Amino acid sequence: MKRRRRTEILVRGSIEVTRRLAQKIIDNYDVKVIEEPNNGLVMIKVRETAKKSLFYLGELFVTEAKVQIEGNLGIGIVRGNHEELAYYLAVIDAAYNGNLEETKSFTDILLQEEKNIDIQREKYQEKILKTRVSFETMDV
Amino acid sequence: MAYVAVKGGTIAIEESIKRLKYERLRKREILSVKEIEAGMRGLIDQVMSESSLYSEELAAISIKQGEGNPEESVFLLRAYRSTLPRKHYSRVVNSEDMIVERRISASFKDIPGGQTLGSSYDYTHRLIDFDLINEKIEDALEWLERFEMETDEKKDNVHGGKMPKVLDYLRSEGLVLDCRENNKEPKDVTKKSIEFPTERSERLQVLTRGQTGSVTTLGYAALRGYGALHPTVGELRIGNLPIYVDNPLNDSKDDEDSFYIGEIRVTEVETLIPIPIEKERGKTELEFEIGYGMCYGQNETKAIAMSILDYCLETGNPKYSTHDEEFVLLHIDSVEATGFISHLKLPHYVTFQSKLDSVRKTKKGE
Repeated sequence: MKRRRRTEILVRGSIEVTRRLAQKIIDNYDVKVIEEPNNGLVMIKVRETAKKSLFYLGELFVTEAKVQIEGNLGIGIVRGNHEELAYYLAVIDAAYNGNLEETKSFTDILLQEEKNIDIQREKYQEKILKTRVSFETMDV
Repeated sequence: MAYVAVKGGTIAIEESIKRLKYERLRKREILSVKEIEAGMRGLIDQVMSESSLYSEELAAISIKQGEGNPEESVFLLRAYRSTLPRKHYSRVVNSEDMIVERRISASFKDIPGGQTLGSSYDYTHRLIDFDLINEKIEDALEWLERFEMETDEKKDNVHGGKMPKVLDYLRSEGLVLDCRENNKEPKDVTKKSIEFPTERSERLQVLTRGQTGSVTTLGYAALRGYGALHPTVGELRIGNLPIYVDNPLNDSKDDEDSFYIGEIRVTEVETLIPIPIEKERGKTELEFEIGYGMCYGQNETKAIAMSILDYCLETGNPKYSTHDEEFVLLHIDSVEATGFISHLKLPHYVTFQSKLDSVRKTKKGE
């Protein structure tokens, strides 16, 4: 599974799932911490729609960690102050970068979590759609 | 006249700071940061937007420390922000990827995807709810459970929360001129102070981090006659935008290789401004120009006002101060404006004494 989809599931989903996957790697490998989870900023670049040009909307507070497993670097970045999650994300990223055996068993777990996220999102969206207006034109 | 160094304020300052803490605690109640984060969404959004730093938790801490005073909270966040490293730049964020929670148009009734009211004070009576005085957590939790359990009539959510842009529809119909994507790297006002004339990216960045009241006031002034435009809200949308960062270990900038780092909630507004265009043989036709606004959180008035000022500054009509970029951009920043006004409280003993001397001399000479 590619990084974009994988990190979408891991960040949006339950931290329990992320912890469980990371723990499998931590139990089996020597995880070298290259950068302890620490705070920083990500500048957000937006395309505005009037002239379709780019501008900076502002910065986003993030937590980032870097680890190395069998020579493979892994990075974890997440919005907000989440040291534990950033570390787990870095471990899982390093595992995928090193194509470690364990990652093969991760796919099904990630796909299941993706389904859970989708169900939650759909429920949330259904509630929002209750506020959709049904216009009726009145005879005056 | 020479400068005079004075001392003697140290103990008084220490006691003053102690007294500030006393004022925060004197009613023997403590607001938890979690409570602020949960119950002061509007203030948090405003503070995040004005400080140009997205973090509900940090905003809540700064609101607690500043006792709910936005200018103090924004100052604290801006100061803290300056201590943090900027680790990455996001991939370009497009608002068509927004998971929409509210989306309305004042220009068209039947917009593709429909009008979704989401949550808004607009439809309330604005009567104080005195029941809130005795609101109990058990009742709130029960209400929440009931709300979440309400069975919903299945609505067709074909876009998974995404909704088409009204502007795209108008452009496809030929009602608004389309333009090409401009990929010029934006300038960053936090790295280099603005110089005039400014670039569009600088104007938008200063406007989005402007003080809510100032942006609203100048937008209002432009509408009332101190500006030359008559806009209508083409689309106002609020929702979450996903943020991605390129893999720093891979120069390919492959979309699939990027890191998803979370979502931010924003308000985006496009206002449509009708402009009479002179055509051949003295004919005039109406065309629409667009004003653009986007800011952190649910901050609708500010985003609309920003879109008005965006258009004003694009046109730069010399007759009006709201079209003057120096006037607008140099006066709407919270920290700059409050800082400069506040500096008047700093000791001006020497300069004021010299003025007093002049007055005395003048009086003697009379």
